[in-house]
Amino acid sequence: MPWSDNSDTGVKPGQKPGGKPGPWGAPPSSPGPRDEDQGEANRPRGDGPRRPGPPPSPPDDLVALWRRLRKRFEDEFGAMGPGLGRRLIPALIGAVIGFWMLSGFYDVQANQEGVVTTFGAYSRTAGPGWHYHLPVPIENVEQIPVTTVKQTNIGSRTGDLPKESLMLTGDENIVDVAFSVQWRVDDARRYLFDIKDQEDTIKAVAESAMREVVGRSTLTDVIATGKAKVEAQSAALMQKILDQYGAGVTVVSVQIASANPPAEVVPDFQAVQSAAQDAQSAINQATAYSNKVVNEAKGTAAQKERAAEGYRQQVIAEAQGQTDAFNAVYAQYRRAPAVTRERLYLETMERVLGKSAKVIVDAKGATAPIILPPDVFRPRTPDATQAAPTPDQSSQAAAQPAQPAQPAQPGAGQ
Amino acid sequence: MNRRSLIAAAVVLIVAVALLASTLFTVDQRKQAIVLRFGRPVRVINALGENNPGLKVKAPWENVVFFDKQNQGLDADTAEIIAADQERLSVDAFLRYRITEPVVYYTSLGDDATAHDRLDRLISATLREVLGSANHTDIISGRRAQLMQQATDEVAAQAKAERLGIQVIDLRIKHADLPEANAEAVYQRMKTERQQMAAQIRAVGEQKKLEIMAEADKEATITIATADGDAARIRGDGDAQRAELFAKSFGRDPSFAAFYRAMQAYDTALGQGDTTFVLSPDSAFLRYLKTGPGR
Repeated sequence: MPWSDNSDTGVKPGQKPGGKPGPWGAPPSSPGPRDEDQGEANRPRGDGPRRPGPPPSPPDDLVALWRRLRKRFEDEFGAMGPGLGRRLIPALIGAVIGFWMLSGFYDVQANQEGVVTTFGAYSRTAGPGWHYHLPVPIENVEQIPVTTVKQTNIGSRTGDLPKESLMLTGDENIVDVAFSVQWRVDDARRYLFDIKDQEDTIKAVAESAMREVVGRSTLTDVIATGKAKVEAQSAALMQKILDQYGAGVTVVSVQIASANPPAEVVPDFQAVQSAAQDAQSAINQATAYSNKVVNEAKGTAAQKERAAEGYRQQVIAEAQGQTDAFNAVYAQYRRAPAVTRERLYLETMERVLGKSAKVIVDAKGATAPIILPPDVFRPRTPDATQAAPTPDQSSQAAAQPAQPAQPAQPGAGQ
Repeated sequence: MNRRSLIAAAVVLIVAVALLASTLFTVDQRKQAIVLRFGRPVRVINALGENNPGLKVKAPWENVVFFDKQNQGLDADTAEIIAADQERLSVDAFLRYRITEPVVYYTSLGDDATAHDRLDRLISATLREVLGSANHTDIISGRRAQLMQQATDEVAAQAKAERLGIQVIDLRIKHADLPEANAEAVYQRMKTERQQMAAQIRAVGEQKKLEIMAEADKEATITIATADGDAARIRGDGDAQRAELFAKSFGRDPSFAAFYRAMQAYDTALGQGDTTFVLSPDSAFLRYLKTGPGR
């Protein structure tokens, strides 16, 4: 506005300039622009205390400018004469109204629904795109995301919320559950109008439902095997409750982010794990032992059977050889039995006695035992270190060497 | 025209605006409004069951109070409940309700803060009564849903009897937890349970280990014994065949066979040079030594 040009001094007519005495002394609360005498008369004086050392010319210029502007203002507004003033005011009003009307354009994103109210009353729901509603005091719009899935976290580990995440299970254990609920608005109108504090409601319902389900489950169900079941059941229960409230919300899923025993008992749970591992390793050790022992036994068994088989083949082969030899000798023997016998006997004795120490004693008629010198019994072969037979051996026993006996051991080879 | 008429126009405008401001009001979709004439309710706009929010008119000397029309929640204070079996539980519950008779609500309760106070007391009394007659296991798990339904009905009946102008939709237990001291006891029990479980698992592992090892030893023993048996049979078979061979061959002349075999045996047994023979001159070998060239 033209008359506010005097603000180039840094002080608007209505303002108190920072606690210092104003250029007009104590300014009135709203000095109207039409207080012409005051404004014009005080202007030059007023500059003094505010700006201690300005050159003289700018105030003169300012005064001149001010006068010019005043004149123009009076031309337009006061006199209402022909010229600019006639059209400026309606133009200004028109512009304001225009802007006001334009403020009614709004954009609904692809994932949203726009709920339009007229004086607070529901009037319509707008789909994605650009729309228009009557400007603000009359109509208003609230854009509600309907396809976007929202997530509410409960008992998240980031916050220190032990109360929110500790739950009692059906078998009276305490479990630490952090979970999240994915949900979306499926009826924007109901969501907006029928239920108060929507997100808090969803959170409270989620907690209640989860606790009810956990309260029906066992600890092992919650922390291990039945997680999916707990999730599905609490999602269904949540949906049921929210439907009962007419919340216009669809529960997409409930996800257990973590379900653990409380910190106080975690070491004992880990101890169970390590016990299971210990047990497994004991079993593995035993299995390794079993494999070793059984296979070794099989090996030993095979060895024994092979050895026996070897023995069998050996004795048969040897017996075969010996009997063949006997048969050959026997064939010759049959031709001259007596001579052959005699010869065999003498040849054998020759070989046997030829290598051995011999004492020939004629004990017939002897009354006292015959004492033989000990070196007689010393073996003639150097490697034979066996103790000699007892010295008081009776001569009779030694005198009968040729008793044929059944062979108990396989004889030495021919 | 000009200045005077301008001022007159401004005055008219201001009066009009003031008049409009004191007669027009909007009722939000979410609210129900009671129009009060000198503090006395005269009519309700957008009450539950009717749907007429929007721009409304009243006399300038009337004023309006608004109450929620929505399903709203109230978090009750945590209540310490003693269950029928003397276990303590700290219970958090929340109530869902709706103001159905705003005039009654307004006259009996006045404002939301008072209403919350009143409902809070009602809830904790009801929870004490309903949950106090159940065992704590029922509260935690077994009959939780039934108990909540029972408490809901109870609170609804009370609210109706006390004419609070509200309709109770649901009373739900949010938390039903053991107090700190009892929680400690539960932790202790969980710990011992786990320790016992760990010991059990270890023992079973050890047992299986011993079983497997014993089984292995047994199998090894059987395998070796079987092999020993087989080996003995094979050896016996060998010996038998040998005996048969010898019998067949030597049986043709047992006397000579015995002699022949004895000679072989002497050779082996006595012919090593480690035997000292004490011979009598009467022996067969020395026959000629004694008798000389003989006959």
